Order: sequence, then structure tokens, then C-alpha cells
Amino acid sequence: MRLLLNSLFYKNPFENLQKHADKARECAQLFKDAAACHVKEKCTEFDELTDQVARLESEADAIKRNIRNHLPRGVLMPVDKFQFLQYLKEQDKVMDEVEEALLWLSLRPGGVPASLAEDFQHLVNSVIPSIEKLSVLVNMATEFFRSRSDRKRTEMKRLVQDIRQHEKEADFLERELKLRIFNEIKDVLVVFHMVRLVEIVGNIADHAQNASDRMRAMIAR
Amino acid sequence: MDIVILLLATVVGLYMAANIGANDLANAMGTSVGSGAITLKQAVVISIISNTLGAVLAGGYVTNTISKGIIDPAFLAGEPNMLMFGMFAALLSAGICVHLATLFGLPVSTTHAIVGAVVGFGIISVGAGAVTWSKVVSIATSWIISPVAGGLIAGGIYYFAEKRIMLAKDPLKASEHYAPFLIFLLFLVLILSLIFKGLGNLHLEFGFTQTVLLAIPCAAVAGGFGRWWIRWQMNSEHELRPEQQDYSPVDRIFAQLQVLTACYIAFAHGANDVANAIGPLAAIFSVVKTKCVVLCVEVPLWMLLIGGIAVGGGLLAFGTRVMDTIGKNITEITPVRGFCAQFGGATTILVCSRLGFPVSTTHVLVGSVVGVGIMRGMGALDLRILKNIGLSWVVTLPFTILLSMFLYKLFTWFLL
Repeated sequence: MRLLLNSLFYKNPFENLQKHADKARECAQLFKDAAACHVKEKCTEFDELTDQVARLESEADAIKRNIRNHLPRGVLMPVDKFQFLQYLKEQDKVMDEVEEALLWLSLRPGGVPASLAEDFQHLVNSVIPSIEKLSVLVNMATEFFRSRSDRKRTEMKRLVQDIRQHEKEADFLERELKLRIFNEIKDVLVVFHMVRLVEIVGNIADHAQNASDRMRAMIAR
Repeated sequence: MDIVILLLATVVGLYMAANIGANDLANAMGTSVGSGAITLKQAVVISIISNTLGAVLAGGYVTNTISKGIIDPAFLAGEPNMLMFGMFAALLSAGICVHLATLFGLPVSTTHAIVGAVVGFGIISVGAGAVTWSKVVSIATSWIISPVAGGLIAGGIYYFAEKRIMLAKDPLKASEHYAPFLIFLLFLVLILSLIFKGLGNLHLEFGFTQTVLLAIPCAAVAGGFGRWWIRWQMNSEHELRPEQQDYSPVDRIFAQLQVLTACYIAFAHGANDVANAIGPLAAIFSVVKTKCVVLCVEVPLWMLLIGGIAVGGGLLAFGTRVMDTIGKNITEITPVRGFCAQFGGATTILVCSRLGFPVSTTHVLVGSVVGVGIMRGMGALDLRILKNIGLSWVVTLPFTILLSMFLYKLFTWFLL
């Protein structure tokens, strides 16, 4: 026997969104370790870390498809479905960019010049908190849509501002690093590789910010 | 022969009542169990008591509509057996319809099934002219209006709760402030439905002014008592059950209020739905007892009592497992949401019941839940279920009409 009430309630897509965000958070940590390892002279774990990121990205893709494929027109959500799917898209792009950055790192072993290693590591470190905060944001959103608490909404707005601030910092570091690349590196190949790499890392923070902006739109009154 | 028909009708009537308990009452109580406000055992106890009280204290009007409002008794005046077999065929066909729906998980309403079955018997026994079509049309219209009304009330209450309580600077203080008002409203509707001629079964009748003068102070006392009860509950250090661990303070207050709405909706269900099984049974008993078709059948109190108990028994026997599933699987029902949905649903059902419209408890409750969802108060709702409900409106009536006609012909062919 199946009750009508049972059929009325649809699996909350925020549960899967949280899983997706958690995968992104795991990726962030691995990305940080992989980047740190890569700029060292002897790095043996880089390939293993890259593989782990690729696996997580693939799992996150499956979650993303699952969310998209199971949100038919007839499902009523507490948020605008378009905004929700846009959020998912941006959060997924964060992971895509992490994977892309690792790919570009792997293309030229020892490719980050020693003089730029520290600044590059700073740039990588600057984008990590914004990814980690996305997971917290989704968790807060789940609680907010359950309780509709004004306090929770204020906390979320503060977190969105934090992510925006991280993006600004990453932008600044990206610009500074690019300047140094063009001023200090003479090898065109290295310049091209480093500029591309730095842009990709910068994009991670951009997408995290875009995602948080979508979330802000979702909680707008 | 009469005794056999009587026994068979009682068995089918009780079977129908049990089915109503397993489906409609389980849905009605599901939101309370789903939110964790009450346990499964508490839900069963509340259901049996409140549902029976609802049937006894406020159930008579719909019962009369089912048995008498749809068919003009003048057409059957000289043929009491016709009415007896007809009502038996109606009970059986509605029972079969509900049973099939239960098997295939279709959102068929027990109320719609019995109305269709009575119409079918009227058409085959006397002709389409015997059916009071204006009454049938008004009943069918109420099926569409009632879920919408439930949705509007539930959505309105949720909107109020969100704006005034959940988004307040101090939600706990706000809920302590407004909860007595909500209790007042709940009791006002309940008392109004009870005493505004609703106590006809106990032969207590009040006029409009008397009713209002009695209801407002009683509801105010209930609100005042509710304020004291909530404060006492919030200050007492009783342990929360595992499903209540993630309650916010507002949820804790609304969990208390949901105990009331659980009683409220079970009461409304008793007032409205017990009639589906008891109405035709009352008509059969009346024919056997008086050997004639009287213009107005007084439904015996004991019959409503037994009907109420049978519905509760149906919930206990078949509905507990599905309610348990709701409690474990549906995390989206919070006490605030459950309160609003049950309040909207029960109020609509009581008003419809008072007006003599047999509406579907489940469909009204679905309307109420969707009403809360539209106010962005639910996690995710599958509105495709509404299409199935619409389809059930279209299919149930023809199916039960035809089945009832067939069964009636069969009985009369064999027994007359």
C-alpha cells in the first residue's frame, strides 16, 4: 500500500547539491596538495592526487546529471528552479576548472618557474576557501529553506560576501602574478603556459563567486 | 433474507470503514508522524479517539447527504427492497473501487467512490430522474473547490507563520506570542462546527448568536490554556526523541501545536468520512427496521460510534506501516509546515462537512500541503500527483456508477 502523501513529496534536490558541494570541497584540498607537491623539486604523489581529483570530478558529474535528470517540470521547489540549476552549473564549473588546472600543471613537469612558485602557491591557496565555503553555504541553505530563519539568512549573506572577498583577493593575486610573468619570464612557451594556468586558477574563484551570487538570488526576498 | 442482507451490509460497511481508515486517516495523520511531532502509537490513539468523536458529534449531516440527498426518496417510496439492495450494491462497489485503488496505489477518494456508487444505483433502479443532479453537481464542484480552499488556508497560515514568527528577530518569543492566537483560531473553528447545529446528533441545538457567544470565550480560554501549556512544555526538561533532535525552538513549539492539529484533523475526518461507510448502512438498517422508505433517516448514534471505531481500526491494522514509512522517509515535513497543512485541511473539511459536502480528506490535505509548498514552504513537491488526482475525479465516478449498476442488477436478478 502506498499513501498519496508519500507520492507527493519529492526527494529534496538540495541533498544531492550538498553531496556535489562536498565533492568540490574534497577536490579543493587535493588540488592544494597537488599544487604544493608540483612546485617542489621531487613530487611523487602528483599523479595520484590528479587521479583522485579526476575520480571525484567524475562522481560529481554523475551527481550533477542525477539532479538535472530528476527535476521534471512538475516538481515544485522552494526556490526558482532556473537559479538552482545555474548554481549547480557554476559549482560544477569550479571542479572542472580544478581538473583543468591540474591538467595544465601536468603538461609541463616542473613547469612553474622557481621564482614564481611562492606566488603561484599563494594564488592557489587564495581560491581554496571559496570552494570550501560553497559547501558550508549549501548546508546553510538546506537549513534556511527548512527553518526560514532570518538569522540563518543573514549568516548566508555574510558567507556570500566572504566568497566575494576571496574572489577579489584571487583576482588581485592573479593580476600581480601575470605582471611578474610578463616582466620576469623570457621564454614564450613558459609565459603562455603560466598565463593560461594562472587564468584557470583565477577562474575557480570566479565560478565560486558566481555560484554564491546565484545562492544569494535564491534567498532574495 | 433481511438478516443476511443486514449482516453482509454490516461486513461490507465495516470493510469500507477500515479502508477509509487505512487510506484517508493515514494520510491525514501522516504529516504529524512525518514531522516527528507525535509517535506512531500516539497517532493511532489520537486517531481512534478524535475520529470517533468527530463521527459522533459532527458526522450526521454528511451521512444524510449520502443516503438521502443524492436520490429523491419519493421515487422509491413503494419499493423499500430496491433501496436496500441499491445501498448494498453501492457499498460493495465503492469498497471494490477503493480496494483496487489501494492495490494499484491510485489516488482514488473513498468519498467520490461512494457518491458515484449511489448515483449508479439511482440511475439503474429508477432512472436518471431519481438522481438529484443539482446536488451531485454541487458535491462534485466541492471536490474541486475544497483542495483549493485547503491550499489557500494552509498557505495563508504558513505565510503568517513565516512573516510573523520565523522571520522575526526573536522567533522563539514571536512563536510564544502568536501560538495562543493560532490555538484560538483552531478551537474557534472546531467549536463553531461542533455547536453550530453540529451537535445535532446529541439533540443540542443553538442559534447563531448563542453559538458565537459560546464559541469565542471557549476558544479564548483554550488559547489562554495553550499559552500556559507551551510555556510549561518549553521550561520542562523532558528528553526529545531522536527524530526531534534537530528541532529549532520554533519547531518545538509547533510540535506541541501539531498534537492539537492531529486531533483536529482526525476529528474532521470522523465528521466527514465515517459517513461514506455508515450512510448507506444507515439506509439499509432503516429499510429493514421500518419496511418502508422514510423521508428522513436518523442515523443511530451507535452506528456512527461503530463506524468511527472501525475507521480507527482500519488505520491500526493497515495504515500504521505506511505512516511509519512517512515518518522515516519524509524529512521535509517540519512541525510548522505540518501544522499549517493540517490546520488548512481540517478547517476546510469541517466547513464542507457542515455544509453537507462529502469531500475527500486526502485530496484536501494534498491541496493544503501544495498550498504551503506554493508559499515556498516545502522542500520539493511532485505536482504531477495533481494530474493523477484530476484523472481519478474523471475515472472514479463512471467506474463506480457502472459497477454499482451492474451489482444492483445482479442482486435483483438473483434475489427478487
